[in-house]
Amino acid sequence: MEAITRILTPENLQFMIKGAGYSILVAVGALLGGSVLGLLSAVMKMGKIKILRFIANIYVEVIRGTPMMLQILLLYLCGPVITRAIFGFVFTPNPILVGVIAVGINSGAYTTELFRSAIQSVDKGQWEAAQTIGLSYWQTMRYVILPQAFKRILPPYINEFIVLIKDSSLLASIGAVELLHSAEVLGAKYYNYLVPLLCATVMYLVMTLTISYFARKLERRLAQSD
Amino acid sequence: MIKASHINKQFGQVKAVDDVSLHIKKGEVICIIGPSGSGKSTLIRCLRGLEVPDSGEIYVHDKKVEFKKNYAQDFAQVGFVFQLFNLFPHKTVLENLTLGPVKAFGVSKEEAEETGKKLLKRVGLLEKADAYPNQLSGGQKQRVAIARALCQNPEVIMFDEPTSALDPEMIGEVLNAMKELADEGMTLAVVTHEMGFARKVATRVLFVDGGKIVEEGTPEQIFENPQSDRLKLFLSQVIHM
Repeated sequence: MEAITRILTPENLQFMIKGAGYSILVAVGALLGGSVLGLLSAVMKMGKIKILRFIANIYVEVIRGTPMMLQILLLYLCGPVITRAIFGFVFTPNPILVGVIAVGINSGAYTTELFRSAIQSVDKGQWEAAQTIGLSYWQTMRYVILPQAFKRILPPYINEFIVLIKDSSLLASIGAVELLHSAEVLGAKYYNYLVPLLCATVMYLVMTLTISYFARKLERRLAQSD
Repeated sequence: MIKASHINKQFGQVKAVDDVSLHIKKGEVICIIGPSGSGKSTLIRCLRGLEVPDSGEIYVHDKKVEFKKNYAQDFAQVGFVFQLFNLFPHKTVLENLTLGPVKAFGVSKEEAEETGKKLLKRVGLLEKADAYPNQLSGGQKQRVAIARALCQNPEVIMFDEPTSALDPEMIGEVLNAMKELADEGMTLAVVTHEMGFARKVATRVLFVDGGKIVEEGTPEQIFENPQSDRLKLFLSQVIHM
């Protein structure tokens, strides 16, 4: 009990809340970036052009077939080496930025299949109707298909957001001060890991349970309008 | 206006359209009849570019359609009404009508809405402008689809079994809307099982079987004086009593 009040001072709590904020920031950034990548590779996979289909397949298989930790380390530790070899300059990677990029690339591979199945679940007649009123492929996608696919994608999409909040903890390994790393820092400082880690547990749960609560509510509302 | 020359379309082993040539002239009302699976739907879908023919040419206004490049523009003046309506469920009735003109043809929103309302009034559904498709009956949906096809100011409208998915009591309202179009001089090409409509409204009837146009002529020729055995058999099966 004494340890709790000693460790969880307002400043330290603030430090951890800031870490949680970074966790959410990484998750949101990765989700947005991953959505763009996922949509793009889904469209490439469904398209007729062989080489684009091939690239999208490679992307999805490589990312899904390797650990995310490896991808993060590759980008963080080897990114500067690669840019020096190719472009001739070295950059000092910002762990949060690298985190957003790495987790985003990872998420894109997983949302590819999400987008693909949702887009393909929209009735083929919608494409044909759009064609007959003169819409182009991308106009059809934007105004007709995606709004309908979105409804179907929403529940798994929110689930992906929760996964990303948890996955962002991997960035602790490259020193990004997200929630887990902030707990580790406090643990090392006070020679007591139990309290900060339990506190991080509670904070993760608050974030994920809140999101899934609203997801369920939203899902019910969408089901009603069908 | 629309000319098809020796078009073929095959699905697996089935020849859905077998070397068909056809010319739709301005002001004609063509009804395409035939047994299920005879290829009449595939034929009309080919004529609108919804299916790409395996071989043969299609001309719109004497301009040959090149199916390699972006050919959608070539069919801009050809409206199409589907058996299953294919309205956009997430858009209101009026938005269904204005989407094409505004996004594809750069018409201003106000102008498109004005035209849209006029067309809804024409099919008797102005009061449904803000409703969503799933709030409409089948017959109403199909009339909205007709209004949507009219939005692009088409020179010809094609119908693929427009009443086959409807409850019997709703067929009349859709056929009436089509008949009004015909009376106003619109060129129509209609795949249909409604023999009464074909008989009364068509200027030319095509009987399709096995992917070929087996017989064609005026409604009198087709219905009163069929020549081929296949047409006689078909008519004896579809016209009861």
